[in-house]
Amino acid sequence: MQSESNSTHIPGELAVSVQHLGLTYTTTIDRRPTLKARVRTLGRGTKHTRVVRALDDIMMDVPYGSVLGIVGANGAGKSTLMRVISGILPPSQGRVEVYGKVSTLLALGVGFSPTLSGRQNVELGGLAAGMTRKEIASHFEEIADFAELGDAIEAPMRTYSSGMFARLGFAVAVTVRPDILIVDEALSTGDAHFKEKSLNKIKELRSDARALILVSHGLGTIRDVCNEVAWLDKGKLIKRGEPNAVVDAYEKFLKVGKSAAIDEDI
Amino acid sequence: MDNAKSKTAPVEVYEPFRAGLPPLRKYWRSLWARRSFIAEYSRSELREKHYDSVFGQVWLVLNPLLLSGVYFLLIVIIGGHSDKMRYGHLTACLFLFYFVSNTMTGGVKSITKGGKLILNTAFPRIMLPISATVVGIFRFLPTIFVFFVIRTILGFPIGWAMLWAIPVVVITAILALGLAVLISTINVYFRDISSFLPYFSRTWLYLSPILYEASALKHNLRSLEAFNPLFPLLNSWSRAIVHAQVPKATDMLISLAWALGIFIIGTYYFLARERDFAVRV
Repeated sequence: MQSESNSTHIPGELAVSVQHLGLTYTTTIDRRPTLKARVRTLGRGTKHTRVVRALDDIMMDVPYGSVLGIVGANGAGKSTLMRVISGILPPSQGRVEVYGKVSTLLALGVGFSPTLSGRQNVELGGLAAGMTRKEIASHFEEIADFAELGDAIEAPMRTYSSGMFARLGFAVAVTVRPDILIVDEALSTGDAHFKEKSLNKIKELRSDARALILVSHGLGTIRDVCNEVAWLDKGKLIKRGEPNAVVDAYEKFLKVGKSAAIDEDI
Repeated sequence: MDNAKSKTAPVEVYEPFRAGLPPLRKYWRSLWARRSFIAEYSRSELREKHYDSVFGQVWLVLNPLLLSGVYFLLIVIIGGHSDKMRYGHLTACLFLFYFVSNTMTGGVKSITKGGKLILNTAFPRIMLPISATVVGIFRFLPTIFVFFVIRTILGFPIGWAMLWAIPVVVITAILALGLAVLISTINVYFRDISSFLPYFSRTWLYLSPILYEASALKHNLRSLEAFNPLFPLLNSWSRAIVHAQVPKATDMLISLAWALGIFIIGTYYFLARERDFAVRV
């Protein structure tokens, strides 16, 4: 993950291997945990934390040259799985092997500081992800171009619309040329023009012998671009295989059938 | 697993941590590789607070200077003392105290405000409190310069012993870093710690030999010394930079032990809790 690798990968070669992955974590029940609340409820046996079993015995391999789609209801553990693969959350059980440089969408932490400009956020996010100043500088033009932000790139990010946010994030993720690209519901906030542009970019990257993991609620896109789909529910891998088969099963599960609403929106 | 199993070694392997800590050598390596983030982040923090402009710098210096003026007035009027060494001690110690206290104030929210970056990027989280400490150092440096102007005007003694101020600053920086790391972790679990911090700092200020000299303390209060790392530290600081005398070896050693102790405890606590941050912020 440290430096840019432009090594070509043979399609079919393993990119990510997830073995018996389990993740359990403790989180707070209160939205904002405070000492005051803790002291006030002292001795009353009030619970302040709960244990979340976010992932349970997940097995999955992603070879190079393929696009894996991940579907599942909210809270199924999709984003958590992506965070484990990108090394943000260490697993509680099992093992994840990554054979290349991973970039998650927004993985560069773009937009973490609303008072800084888009440019500074890209630079800081890149440095945090372990890129060098030179690498960032060499990609910056391309990022700004792809995001189509114009002069807004120099404006503080608190002035950005959600679409601008998403565009910048997507631009960063795809232009740094990761070996393994994780796109987490990113296409949902762009306008039609940008959606198409990002879809094309994803297809281009696919033909480039990289590995892509696409997390989306847009089942139409999933059917369209993925070679394989995995369906997660409540932290468990329910079904995995040929896109249409898995998506059909998932739709049946949702009891909504194939409706325009889920097919159209990405 | 399918037939696609590759023969090459993986670039990254993620497994559960052993002994509750991340692998330290790997952690250090990825921290070192990202040192330019620390520089860039602290620079942008400083810029955000306008410390890169002339007036920002002036305010940085003016604030503790006015404060020392206020306390000096208090000492002159209430205590009836009016010697210039006393003013020198007060000012120098106040500047060093504010280095520690400002670093804590800047560092306490370093994790909780890192939101998106912590959620979406894999990096050693300790970079955030480290950046806060670097900001603290850059805010402290101009005050040293001001103190040198003051001590020249007041005609304080000059000597080689003043160089002892350098190790004192280094020890203070370790202490401040340790405290920033510790308190930023606590703030993840108890978000109101940052609101208690000003009261804590103020109490600490009065319990430290700043408005008075340690030697002037009543005997029954001397036991305070044992619990306050700033006692030996400020003693050494004042001797070196105000009186141009060599600090006591015991003071130096005790403050170094305090600083390292707090740094090690803080870092251990931070590293042991770090994996929680992404699910807690």
